[in-house]
Amino acid sequence: MITAELQKGWAKSLLEAAGSAPAPWLEELRSSAGALIDGLPLVNRKQEAWRYTNVEPLLKESFQPVVERPSGYPGEVPEAITPHRLVFVDGWFMPELSDTALLPEEVTCGSLNDAIAAGDERVKNRLGSVADPGEHLFTALNTALVNDGLFLHLPAGVKLESPVELFWLNSGGETPLLAQPRNLVILEPGAEAVLVEHHLPGEGERYLHNGLTEIVLDPGAKLDHYRVQDESEQAWHFSRIVLDQGSDSRYHGITLAFGGHLARTEYNGLFTAEGAHCTLRGLYTVGDDQLQDFHLDVRHDVPHCSSREQFKGLLYGKGRAVFDGRILVAKDAQKSDAELTNDNLLLTRNAEVDTKPQLEIYADDVKASHGTTVGQLEANQVFYLRARGIDEQKAVHMLCEGFAAEIIEHIHLETLREQALARLRQTLGNL
Amino acid sequence: MLTIKNLHVNVDGKEILRGLDLEIGTGEVHAIMGPNGSGKSTLSYVLAGRDGYEVTEGEVIFAGKNLLEMEPEERAWAGIFLAMQYPVELPGVNNMSFLRESVNAVRRARGEEELDAIAFMKLVRERAELVKLPEKLLKRSVNAGFSGGEKKRNEILQMALLEPKLTILDEIDSGLDIDALRTVAEGVNALRSPERSFLMITHYQRLLDYIEPDHIHVLAHGRIVRSGGKELALELEEKGYGWILEEEAAA
Repeated sequence: MITAELQKGWAKSLLEAAGSAPAPWLEELRSSAGALIDGLPLVNRKQEAWRYTNVEPLLKESFQPVVERPSGYPGEVPEAITPHRLVFVDGWFMPELSDTALLPEEVTCGSLNDAIAAGDERVKNRLGSVADPGEHLFTALNTALVNDGLFLHLPAGVKLESPVELFWLNSGGETPLLAQPRNLVILEPGAEAVLVEHHLPGEGERYLHNGLTEIVLDPGAKLDHYRVQDESEQAWHFSRIVLDQGSDSRYHGITLAFGGHLARTEYNGLFTAEGAHCTLRGLYTVGDDQLQDFHLDVRHDVPHCSSREQFKGLLYGKGRAVFDGRILVAKDAQKSDAELTNDNLLLTRNAEVDTKPQLEIYADDVKASHGTTVGQLEANQVFYLRARGIDEQKAVHMLCEGFAAEIIEHIHLETLREQALARLRQTLGNL
Repeated sequence: MLTIKNLHVNVDGKEILRGLDLEIGTGEVHAIMGPNGSGKSTLSYVLAGRDGYEVTEGEVIFAGKNLLEMEPEERAWAGIFLAMQYPVELPGVNNMSFLRESVNAVRRARGEEELDAIAFMKLVRERAELVKLPEKLLKRSVNAGFSGGEKKRNEILQMALLEPKLTILDEIDSGLDIDALRTVAEGVNALRSPERSFLMITHYQRLLDYIEPDHIHVLAHGRIVRSGGKELALELEEKGYGWILEEEAAA
């Protein structure tokens, strides 16, 4: 059972190891978030948002926050698909492993900590303005321990030709480490970028990644954001992505979640002006000893915005998944257009998904729909392939790939699409 | 090529085929006709190896082997092809990749070399033209959103690629207009050869105008009740199935 004592005690031990902040204003931000923790609800089954996701074993584990930039990285850094490569180890930006030389001069792309230490006003003005630290224990913890992460800023009208690619790696060691990246992405009016994130074990096996990303899209800005979560099978992974979308901005996000022991991805989208569009897509696979959790919360507060949410899950063994997708259309948000689907393919009897699409609509002139399916492979589809000479195992793989393809095909980077397919095949090969 | 002896088959505990005998020689084209519910589709699925069909008695020998002991894919490797009445849609599974996977799986099993992408492309284009399947349908998901005629053409394309020894055409004419039927029939006729056999299953005489069989059988109550040449089809066309069923009942 998660008691107040357990939750507070766990957080307290982490906060004690926080280390010093690179600027006084950050110290304030940190301590105000830290002060929230004692008053936050317990992350237990009584809360709808945590009803199917048991974090008790996590709260009984002790982690060591990484409060300084690691001196190096013992492992190999995977190959990048673009010239703009940023490597983070235990949540810290590693300049010597990264390459941002080919980015246009007017673009800021690198360490959040460095930007704060250098007195960057843009960070001071926006950090913490998009994401509510009091959302739950893990967002408060992230804010109370802000150290490093990505700071990406594109001035008005700048359009990056190549994607910016991030590698999140872990250094491992005896004590399980806590990586706490905090990311801030600001695209000024009309700016365009593609961001690719790879969450990988690196040298780590047992660790906690607790990331929080704030994204500000000014009017007309466009961001394609691909995330591949392929953490170690013993790892805990939390990611929360919070969007602040100005008029006519466009966000296109895809998360592919393959790894982790317990992984939770949260999207929180807010439209602040008319004409904005947000697409969220996701593919998750879960097997034995795995839980993938997706929580979406998209708010249409103003008229004439559209959102699409499409998530698909492939479950096998004793794998478990949770999907909670909420779209809220406020009273004045007329002409909103929202569509949410979640489809799950259960390959075994013991796999389980708890899925809950929610549309809350207070306006009267909107287009909104949602649909959820939980099913198994259809015997007649398998038979059809076998009758064409394809053996049963291959037939199952092809059908699973076909199911997943409806997400993967939306990746507009060919190399990444191929990587995703290869990764999916690796999972299917273990069925 | 195919010998069926005294075949009894249950579906959901109910006996559908009740002692069916049939002999198809190499290079022959046979047609099985019969009223609805006579067991026509059951026969085609039993031959292709679909689950849910319990053989309680009898045997099926194909090219010297016991067909009933083989998995569906093994039957395909051995040269059996079932063109289905309702081809299954496979969302997300690219048609071209599927066709290549199928052709190469069968080639592997037969000890032939797999076709590389270029060689396969050439082959599939050539055969697609034969069955007049628009090339754009090769890039789509298998049968997903295809019209009835397009699905049947895709079936015949698969047949043309796999070059089976025995093709079973299960109501290939259902839901087709005359033009589509003609195209599908041309595809089948192009593949007719002294080495290949066909078993057409149909409700209507119409198909037999386009694909001329050597032998016609009437299936009723789970057995072949009458066999004959082309003239039997004309008689059925004229008098329907009633008279055969009556004669059968009288006997």
